[in-house]
Parts: sequence; C-alpha cells; structure tokens
Amino acid sequence: MPPARLPWLLALTLLLAACQQSEPEPLKVYRHAIDGIPASLDPAHADDVYAATLVTNLYDTLYRYKYLARPYELTPSLADGFPEVSEDGLTYRIRLRDDARFADDEAFPGGVGRPVRATDVVYSLKRHFLPDTRSRGDWLWRDRIVGLDEGTRLSDPDAPVEGLQVEDPLTVKIRLRRPYPQFTHTLAMALSAIVAREAVEHYGRSFGVNPVGSGPFVLARFDESRAVLEPNEHFRRGVIDLDAEGYDPARHDRFGLARIDGLTFPLLDRLEVHFIPEPTTRWTSFTASSGVDVVMVPPELSERVLAERDPIRLRPEIASRYRSWHGPEAGFVFHGFNMDNPEIGHHPDPGRAARNRALRCALRDAFDWQARNRAFYHGLGQIFPGAIPPILPAYDPDADADSISHSPRRARARLAEAGWQTDNLPRLVYGLESSVHQRQMFEQFRAWAQAIGFPASRLEARAYASFGEYARALGTRQVDLFLLGWTLAYPDAQYSLQLFYGPNAAPGANSFNYANPTFDQLFEQASSLPAGPRRTRLYRQLNRIVIEDCVIIGSLARTRLFLWKPHVLMLPDRDMVGGHFLRFVDIADQGG
Amino acid sequence: MTTPGSRRTLVARRLLGALPLLLGVTLVSFTLTVHFGPDQAWELLGRNPTPEQVEQVQRQLGQDRPFLMRYGEFLQRLTRLELGHSQASGESVTGLLARTVPVSLLALAPGFVLGIALALALALAAAWRPGGRIDRLCRGLSSLGMSLSVVITVIALQAIFGVWLDWFPVRGWAVDNAASYLAHVAVPTMAMVAANLGYNLRFFRAVLVATINEPPARTALAYGLPKSRILTRYVLRAALLPILTRVVFSVPLILISGSLVIESHLGIPGAGRITFDAVTSGDQPVLMAVVSLSAVLFVVALTAADLLARLVDPRIRAA
Repeated sequence: MPPARLPWLLALTLLLAACQQSEPEPLKVYRHAIDGIPASLDPAHADDVYAATLVTNLYDTLYRYKYLARPYELTPSLADGFPEVSEDGLTYRIRLRDDARFADDEAFPGGVGRPVRATDVVYSLKRHFLPDTRSRGDWLWRDRIVGLDEGTRLSDPDAPVEGLQVEDPLTVKIRLRRPYPQFTHTLAMALSAIVAREAVEHYGRSFGVNPVGSGPFVLARFDESRAVLEPNEHFRRGVIDLDAEGYDPARHDRFGLARIDGLTFPLLDRLEVHFIPEPTTRWTSFTASSGVDVVMVPPELSERVLAERDPIRLRPEIASRYRSWHGPEAGFVFHGFNMDNPEIGHHPDPGRAARNRALRCALRDAFDWQARNRAFYHGLGQIFPGAIPPILPAYDPDADADSISHSPRRARARLAEAGWQTDNLPRLVYGLESSVHQRQMFEQFRAWAQAIGFPASRLEARAYASFGEYARALGTRQVDLFLLGWTLAYPDAQYSLQLFYGPNAAPGANSFNYANPTFDQLFEQASSLPAGPRRTRLYRQLNRIVIEDCVIIGSLARTRLFLWKPHVLMLPDRDMVGGHFLRFVDIADQGG
Repeated sequence: MTTPGSRRTLVARRLLGALPLLLGVTLVSFTLTVHFGPDQAWELLGRNPTPEQVEQVQRQLGQDRPFLMRYGEFLQRLTRLELGHSQASGESVTGLLARTVPVSLLALAPGFVLGIALALALALAAAWRPGGRIDRLCRGLSSLGMSLSVVITVIALQAIFGVWLDWFPVRGWAVDNAASYLAHVAVPTMAMVAANLGYNLRFFRAVLVATINEPPARTALAYGLPKSRILTRYVLRAALLPILTRVVFSVPLILISGSLVIESHLGIPGAGRITFDAVTSGDQPVLMAVVSLSAVLFVVALTAADLLARLVDPRIRAA
C-alpha cells in the first residue's frame, strides 16, 4: 500500500468506528429554543424568562399556572391544595405534598435526595434576605411578611422570622403585615422555587450552576449553548388530568393534546433547551431536520410565515408543515417620562406643573403608535391605553383611546395654549440601549416631535452599551424619556400599576418617578382587595390617572407567534406559565 | 548556532520581559473595566431594588474601595492563580476557562490549520506564476474572502449544509464521540477557512512572490531544479519566518477569544462567547482572567516564534 494512502485509510477507519460507537438517541427528545442565555440557575436570581424556563423545571414551586386554562389560573404544585387563608387575609397555612423529594445529589448524605419539608419553604424564602444571596426577588416579600420589613437583612438563616413558622414537617404558616392577595401568585414564580439548604451550602457560590431541586427534571449538562435535562426519578405528581388543566376540545384538539391525558410526568426522555439569541440562527435551526423543534417567530421574519396579519393567517406552505399558536404577550412596551425632572415632570409651582403636563401630553399626542407598530412590530402589536394590557382581566376594551391616537394638531394646540415656543422648550435626554433598532425608534420619535414644533436639537439621544447600563441610567434618573418593556410575573394589574407607585421610585420599578399621593393611596387600597368588580374599578381608575397625567406614552403588547414541528404535542407559552408547560410536552410516535 | 544554553537564556529573558507586559496589560484593562466598562451591579439587581440594595451590591463587588487597593488585590490573587468566580453565574473562573477553552480549540483549530494549509498551497501556486490563471483566481478569492462578512458566510453555510443538504447540525456542540465531533466541527471549520482564507492568502502570496524573486530562488531556477523542490526548499523555507510569526501569533486568539461571530452564530460554548458576555455585562473576574491569560499566551507565542525562527533561519542562529 502506498504510504500516502495510510493516513486517509486510518481516518476513514476512525470515522466508521466512531459512527458505530454512537449511542442511540433516546426515544422522546424535545428541543426547545429560547432567545437568551440564563446567567444563573439559582432560583433567587431567576427573574427573567430565560432562567425561569429552566428553574421551573429543575425546581418546584408551591403553585403553578394551569397548563391550558386562560385567563391564567393557579393550581397547587408542591403544595397539597390551596393555602388556607384567614378571614383577615393575613395568615396563610400551606401544606406540602408528602411525596415530594429533592433529586439525588452529592450534597445529600449518601447522594440520595431527601423529602421536601416545610423547613425548606421557610429557608427558601428567608434566603432572599441573606445578603450573600444577592436576591433579585426579595422585593416581592419585603415589607409583606411579618419580620421581613423594609431594610431587613438576615445574617443567619437560622435567625427566627416571626411571619415564617413551621407548624409541622409538612405545614408552613406565613403571617403577612397586611392583606396581599397576590401572595399566592408570587409562590408560583421561579423566584420562589424551593431549594435545599444542604445544596446551597455545599456548592456555595457555584450553586447557580449546580441546581438541586425537586422539579420534574434534573440537569445533565449546561453551557452557553444549551441545557440538557433528564427526568427526575423522584418526581411524583400522579397522572395528568387534562380537564383540571383547562382542556377545551374546541381550542386544544388541533394540538393533539388529548393523548397525554392520564399519562405520568414528565413525558420526555430528554429535554434540551437551546439558547439562540440570533433570530436568523433560531429560524435556520428550526427549519433544519436536526434543529430545534419550536420557534417564536421574530417580527423581522414574520414576512416568511404570514400570508395575512389581521387576522393572522399563515402561508399555506408553513401551515401545512407546522403547528402554530399566536396570542398577545403578558406584558407591554411603552415610553415614559422622568417625572423627577422639574423641566418636564413634577414641579412645586402648580402653573409650571400644568405647563409640563401640557408638554408631556403634546409629545404623547405626537406619537404615532400605528406607525410604530408597522415599522417595528410588523403590524402584529396590540395597542392599548395605559398600563393594563389586554391579557389581564382588568383590561378595559371600552377605555378612551385618545391617549393612543396620533394627533399632531392637538399636540400643537396644547403647546400653544401652555405657552411653549421653540425658544423655551426644555432640552430632553432620550435614553436608549445601543442598537440600530432603538436608534431608529428614537429617530422616528424625534421626527414626530419635530412635526409639532419641538426642535430636533432639544432632543438628545443617549445610548447605553448594555441593559445593565441602561438600568443604571434609569435608576439614577439620568434620562428624561425612556423606552421600556415590562413582563408580567402574575396575571394581576397590580403588577403593572406598581410601575407608578411612589415608594417604588428609582432605583425601583417606578422609573417614571411618579409621585402622586392619590394614586399611591388608591393603589394600596386596590392591592389589598381580592379579585372582583371593586378591585377592577380601582385598577381602571388608577390607569386613567396615569393617562390623564400624561406620565406614560403607551402601550403596545407584542404578539407571540409560535411554530413547532407536528410530532411535538404541546401548547407553548413563555409568559406566566413560562417553563412550567415543558413537563406536559410529549412526542408523537413516528408518523403520529 | 543555537545551544540549549542560549535557548534557556532567551526563554528566561522573555519571561522576565513578560512581567512588565503583564502588569501593563492588566493595569490598562483593569482601569478600562472599572472606569469605562458596564457597571455590573445594575445587571445583578432585581426589578425593584431599593437604594440600600444598590449600595449593598456595589459594596459586594468592591466598588466602594479605592481603585489601587482593588488592583493590588487582583494582582495578589493572580499571583496565587486565584481567578475568582463569575459574578453572573457564580461558576469558578478556572472551571469556566477549563470548560470553554478546549471547546474553542476543538471547534476552531481544524479550520485554522486547514485554512493556513490551503492558503499556503494556493499562495505557492499563485506566486510561481504571478498574473497567471491561478494567481488571478487567488486574487479574486482573497478579495471575496476579505469583503464578505463572516456573519453572511456563517448564515449561508448553515442554510446550505444544515438545512438544504441536511448533512451537519445547524448549530450547537453536542459532542460525545468522534462521529458527533466530526459532524459538529464541519461547519465551524468551513466558516474558519472562509473567514481567514482571504487575509492569509493575500499575505502569504505577497511574502512568497517577494521571496521567489530573491537570488537563491532565481539561482535554483537557473540551475533547472524541479519546481516542487524550488518551492519547498528555497522559497517556502526562506519565507517561513513571517509566515510562522503570523501563524504563531494567531494561536492565542483562537485559544482565548475564539471567534466570537462563529461561536455565537453556531452556538459553540467556547471562550469567545464567555469573553463577549463578560465584556457586555462587566463580569470583571472573567474579563480580567481572559485578559491576563491572553497576555501570558502572547508572551509564550512571542517566545515560541523566536525559537522557531532560530530553528528555521540560520542567519538568526548565527546572530
């Protein structure tokens, strides 16, 4: 044999041998795709959809949202039933399932997971108040649970907290300072997932990449490209009861979900979550046979899949190849004013305050939401007044739409009436994240402002390199006008209206720095009411106040359009349900 | 003539020279990340922080301490090879690098080597007959390679080999054995070749054309020696010095920063990806580890390039 051929022959042999060695694919593998990379899998840091998608599958929460019921409905998960709430709404008694166990891990003696106990619930909540945790979710319970008041920082997880009591190994009693009807919702968030103290202490700072939970899956692999999850053999939740999950044949039959009724969790042999921030790559991977099984169609690629936008209709070749679902996001995007700047916001002089309001209202009138929707959301967004998006029960479909109608004439009239002229208009800083997209949005806004007589030179764009930098600018009140998105963590208008609550002013969630005692008083009143017509009325009144005060320019709820491969039986959701739906995903048999 | 003693002296000199370089590089990087980089405290805060929490996180990140004290502590830890933990994930930086650098190497090295070999072969053929058909083709190829965006190349390769032909995975790095490695390395290799071929080809051709016109090659030609012998013994050997320098200096880039675009678009969890994330989020422990390691590797590359130059070039040995 000529020596030159030897390396080729060796390479070929190696290749063939390697092919023979490759292990067979597990029976049921689902490849999910999300558009960002979770930095940490510590539940205390899981306040974004990327981390929450994984955390809700590796850990378990006391409650979760029903898979299919819309509007969203809570259901027990790790808890054994709904909490017993005292008549005054201040005491919650929550009983845990007796069959829940943490996954096996070296953190436990002998490497065997132990049962989940009430002490774990207490520790998981207390942990948010330990400085080393650097919790991103303590604000949900701060000043709500007795003993975890404003400024509380626990130095020791064993330190007693009056409002967190273990009644027996499976029962926890939580005492609140004042009624907090949203409390049970917070216990469905990934931030509230139950952790084992042994695991937190065993892994120390690396706990964020070594998750040990009691969820349906355990982590087999995690890097910047994907996470691979395998079933947690200790996860026992009985069989799937589709009716209890809100199954409606009229709405859900086309997704082939009926066949999972009566099966046990989880249905997959392996769950892969791929992190693909680049929209084009996400789409390419979806269209490849070995790529991801689902895609949330980015607006810029909607041309490829949509034949019509209103109502949404897929192109025939797409409709025949994939399953699909679309609906509004549980959140919205909006522009806001920094009310802390006396040049445009609150002012001690009532006359100037009124003139500032006229200026804000004029800029809002100049804003053309329809054009914004066409240009940047491909006409798929739903425009609504204020901060209560259509997905919420408190949304008012009959609300006055003046605040979202484009009216340059009205804007000019407002400016003239308030005495604003080219030479006395303030110089405003418009904050944006550094991207072409956001720069274009600014230019569009500036053109509308110019059209009502606001000089382009008085509107300065200030770009920030990352969202962290942008958050710092908002938190330190450096920008006068800003663009933000707000995703709801639970289906209650309280979550969006808190954006205007005075005590939440920057660096808190109230980036508007809106300070209105009437609003604050009504907000506190509404926040402690149970769901019902009275609370809805109050929420709508609060929404009208911020619209009347021209604090917000908005808003727009984007449309989520999911496509997935037909062999995958599921109804995807990335909002309130977040990652919880993944335990219900099934794979049809070949040709199924 | 190079002796083991002179080689040791050279290595010792280089290592000594590396200290001020390392100090300078880390000082500049530290200054830039502290004063001009993103403030990670705001990335780590939740949706509704209080001013006290902002201060607390800033304190935990050491932002309340004087700059020189922080830099001094960093140097102390570096001398003990304590690279700390990522502020974002909590993962140890040593573990992070141990996990990602080999992935970058495995994913990008084949394309790097193949790209250089291909560029060298084409450049030799082009330099032999400047203005000829192969030379014209090479000039076209290098212009195309240099002007084509890597992003476009990667997207095209994904579409052709991942979707249309369905030969290789579109993205990801699910490597468990040799077969899965070959499948996953194919597209990154093609992307690396396409990304670097233009620049390498142009550089190698220029060097080889200059060498081919020098007296030794012209004399060999006049003696009627075979083309292959002239190219390998006289031209390539004489031109090896600048070529080696270029190649050796590219190695740290592959090892540490990887190729961000290729790693990002192809979902390769390599060093480039974590470097980019650290830069944009201001994850100082990761960033400073990458910068320090890059500086060390550049010193190693510099030393290796010098040693190799002595090996291949008798004039340097004599000097």
